[in-house]
Amino acid sequence: MPLLTLATFLPILGGLALMALPDRSARMAHGISIGVTGVTFLITLAIWSRGIVAGDFAQVEEVAWIPAIGAAYRLGLDGLSLPLVLLTSLLFLLSAIYSARIGERAASYVVLMLMLETASLGTFMALDGLLFYVFFEVSLVGMYFMIAGWGYEERQRAALMFFLYTLLGSLPLLLAIIGLYLGSGTFDMRAWIDAPPLTGLAAMLALIAMFITFAVKIPVFPVHTWLPAAHVQAPTAGSVILAGVMLKFGTYGLVRFALQMTPEAFAQAGQVILAFGVVAALYGAFAALAQSDLKKMIAYTSVNHMGYVVIGVAVAALSLDPGIRTIALDGATLQMVSHGLVTGALFFLVGMLQDRAHSREMSDFGGLLGRVPWLGWAFILSAFASLGLPGLAHFPAEFQIFLATLNAAPWAIVAILAIVVTAGLYLRAIAAVFLGPANEKWADMPDLDRREKLAVVPLLILTILVGVAPGWLIGMIHTTMAALSF
Amino acid sequence: MNLLALILLPPVLAALAILALRRALVALVLAGAGLSLAGAGMAAMTAWGGAAVTTTLPFLPGLAILLMADALTATIALMVATVAGLVLIYGLGYMAKDPERHRFFATMLFFVAAMQLLVLSGDWITLLAAWEMIGFASYLLIGFWHARAGVAEAATRAFLYTRSADLGLYIGAFVLIGAAGTSEISTTLATTGTPALIAGLLLLIAAMGKSAQVPMQDWLMRAMAGPTPVSALLHSATLVAAGAILLIRAAPMLPGGALLAIGIVGGATAVIAGLIALAERDLKRLLAASTASQYGLMLVAVGAGAPVAALLHLIAHAAIKSALFLGAGIFQHDRGSTDLEALSGAGRARPGMFAGFAIAALALAGIPPLAGFYSKDAIIAAALESPAAAWLVPLTLAGSVLTGAYMGRAMRVLWAGETGPRPAAIPLMAAGMGVLVLLAATLGQGFKPLEYLLEGGLPEIGLIVPLLGLGAGLSGLGLGWLFAPARLLGPLMAPARNGFAVAGGMDALILRPALALAAACAAFEARLLAAQIGMIRGLGLGIARLVERSDAALYAFSLWIGRQNLHLGARARLTDTNGIDALIFGLVARTIAAGARARRLQSGFIHRELALTFAGIALVTGVLLAAPYFL
Repeated sequence: MPLLTLATFLPILGGLALMALPDRSARMAHGISIGVTGVTFLITLAIWSRGIVAGDFAQVEEVAWIPAIGAAYRLGLDGLSLPLVLLTSLLFLLSAIYSARIGERAASYVVLMLMLETASLGTFMALDGLLFYVFFEVSLVGMYFMIAGWGYEERQRAALMFFLYTLLGSLPLLLAIIGLYLGSGTFDMRAWIDAPPLTGLAAMLALIAMFITFAVKIPVFPVHTWLPAAHVQAPTAGSVILAGVMLKFGTYGLVRFALQMTPEAFAQAGQVILAFGVVAALYGAFAALAQSDLKKMIAYTSVNHMGYVVIGVAVAALSLDPGIRTIALDGATLQMVSHGLVTGALFFLVGMLQDRAHSREMSDFGGLLGRVPWLGWAFILSAFASLGLPGLAHFPAEFQIFLATLNAAPWAIVAILAIVVTAGLYLRAIAAVFLGPANEKWADMPDLDRREKLAVVPLLILTILVGVAPGWLIGMIHTTMAALSF
Repeated sequence: MNLLALILLPPVLAALAILALRRALVALVLAGAGLSLAGAGMAAMTAWGGAAVTTTLPFLPGLAILLMADALTATIALMVATVAGLVLIYGLGYMAKDPERHRFFATMLFFVAAMQLLVLSGDWITLLAAWEMIGFASYLLIGFWHARAGVAEAATRAFLYTRSADLGLYIGAFVLIGAAGTSEISTTLATTGTPALIAGLLLLIAAMGKSAQVPMQDWLMRAMAGPTPVSALLHSATLVAAGAILLIRAAPMLPGGALLAIGIVGGATAVIAGLIALAERDLKRLLAASTASQYGLMLVAVGAGAPVAALLHLIAHAAIKSALFLGAGIFQHDRGSTDLEALSGAGRARPGMFAGFAIAALALAGIPPLAGFYSKDAIIAAALESPAAAWLVPLTLAGSVLTGAYMGRAMRVLWAGETGPRPAAIPLMAAGMGVLVLLAATLGQGFKPLEYLLEGGLPEIGLIVPLLGLGAGLSGLGLGWLFAPARLLGPLMAPARNGFAVAGGMDALILRPALALAAACAAFEARLLAAQIGMIRGLGLGIARLVERSDAALYAFSLWIGRQNLHLGARARLTDTNGIDALIFGLVARTIAAGARARRLQSGFIHRELALTFAGIALVTGVLLAAPYFL
């Protein structure tokens, strides 16, 4: 059974079916949404159970598309994409559950979400350069409408900025893809990886083009400015998908395209890319420390956490020791998943707080822990996970990244200062919102209901599971990364 | 394996059961702590017999979790389990009426498990993980009464101070793992040369944070915002102990330079924290400053090349200081405060408790035959034999005099004054404290065999050392009992009250610059954003010009995009959201139709593909921009 194709297109088919239905009530729409994302999640679990292989893509599905130019419909998986596919299908399912309260134009909302899921899964599984680019761009359109249609006060402006920024940002990738095609005569990404078609200046130019695109998406300083703007205005589920899934397009592309297809140029430019990562990690942390808006603060910590991923990938390119390379790439990939779980939970929780209080300003709250213990403890757990507490999801990833960094590019270890800054900003947020004397204004704030617990508790459980026993996850990543030759 | 699981799992399971069941609190606490203690006892017996208990669990590829109970770690584990068990028994009485006591005991048990994980860790990752987990648990415990004013700040400060110092442990561990190619602690301790020196100094930084050494002593005094059993467990025998334990375990690797640095940091802390303790007005804060000072003495022992002497003092201090804190908690229970003025005479009202407090105080001052006498003598002897004796001996003796002085003062305050009404009986609290006092009095007798088991090789204690130690302790006690601190300290009184905060302390040196940097980043961020919006507009026009030259057909279309971009901010606000449904459904329908046509357009000529792609993107942009006018 072509499970990869099924998982990719089931969501959009569900969306089309909803459009064809005479009954497009909110109830029906959310029912279809949860059902379709649920089945998609189960399919990805089945894909997981089929497993991956070391040193190659597994479960490849291929259909001819435009044979004249070597473009084909090609999907496949390895230890880099499979964890991201699982993360994607999980976050879309939880977002569907969380979104069930949305009554305003519910059918359109659901169609957009399902379209986004198709685009996201396709981006991670595509093995064809053109196909990848199509999925990559379609996701932009979906997110644009998501922000513009269901966001907060300044949504139109934020949505347009997001769209233009990332659209202009993605044009260089198209040039790079065409360059890779001209060098090889095919759009098959496997061919580009097995025998990198470009060398010398051409490879360096392609790398620069790809790095621009992925740097915007990750996002890396100084092209990160769209992210806080988009996050603050996006609806909660939009923020979860944006941070949890779509930022990973950038880091996934950084490994899959930049590192694997132009490895020599990447090694030459390694110190520069490393410097971008270090600056992003530190700048993101300090900028987050200056925020008083909870959502904006978490958005900036994404810049920090994704900066660590860039550091890990750059260190892998720079190191000559295969052991250190594998540790760096294991850590970078695990960090992508951890960030999706933890930041997904944090955006859900801030969204739940905003649903209740219609505010995201830390100073508007105070002493909520006694009032809403579920919300409070879930936030505290997620915040400590985000600041890298051992036993929770970010620790194993960041430990590996920093261990490799110190042993391959010691100067870059200065980025580790950011873990103290993130500790400071999260503790400050916890103290301002949840600790201290209770603010009477919120004396009748309700705690999490069943739907909200259903959306957030799975993420908390996985956060602990990845932190305590990461073996089940790091195993598949390691299988691929240890066999990676670049 | 089973013994290690018996030490680690019962507290965790008991904590989870307490949170889930919310009943049978006493039984669960006693079961969790008791089973763990039994496991630690059996592991110690096995390890003392010469057979280390070890186990390996999978964690990361090539970096497994290694747990190990050898003679050293099993001894510490037994100490932790004993003190924790007694403090928990005391806590059952102390917290009996607190409505949130379930959360309290669950967190305490989680803390105990994390501390045991730290003690038993055989690899750097486990040690680092446990190191940070006890920091987290102490954050929760210091912040236990989170609704009270000032508590959140104390908890935040404690976590941030220690986490800043933890960077030393992170980077030190990376250096050692990188140099040895394995994360196993015993293997990495064979590291020599520059990596060993760098790692040693980095580990010292981490230990300074956890063990509240100068200049990072401040958080410990403020951490007294938590319930008293928390102080008795965390800030005397366990959390603070982690720093000393780390250096004791790393001792075989430490080169001369690192040892000297450790000895001087410890000696300076012994004196400075001793002065702070003497100037304190609050009994719990006095005991906290004393803790920093005593850990300073342990660092002196490590720096003098006698880690076993540090271990002996660690064990003696654990029993003594827990007993003192529990006594302070009992007096606090009676008077509703730990302010020394409010406690005046509180000891005379409970002569039995006061006797226990006094025995522990004398033990800390190093009066024979109590436990502190033996351990302090071992430290003085080690300092005398050290190559840095000229530094370490005066600092150690000054620290000992100060120990006597602040304990003498505390006893004087508790004894002199009005007794007040007769207090109620407190069986659980008295039981917990009583056993600890007994340990504080008698543990010293076990030190000789323990030295032998640990193959410590301590320097011979002749006649001079006990005389020096006893002289320092007695003169300190006399001074503290007879004279007010202001007279003893003279001009040092004001800076000591202030905690010797040099140049505004850590707040001015680190916190405010960090916040200023953050504010600068935020200001820069706003400018960057404005500049980029300008650039996106410019880029739109730039693309338009580029296309103008290459392809006349696209000219008008692209320039139109450029112009639109100039106005996008203004127009975006006009968009009416209600029509988005129609737009989406229309767009999807058109996309499907376009897909059918697209197949015919695929010609295979690159330039045409490119132009089409660009036109496609431009079309989407155009639709987005035009949307406001059609809705």
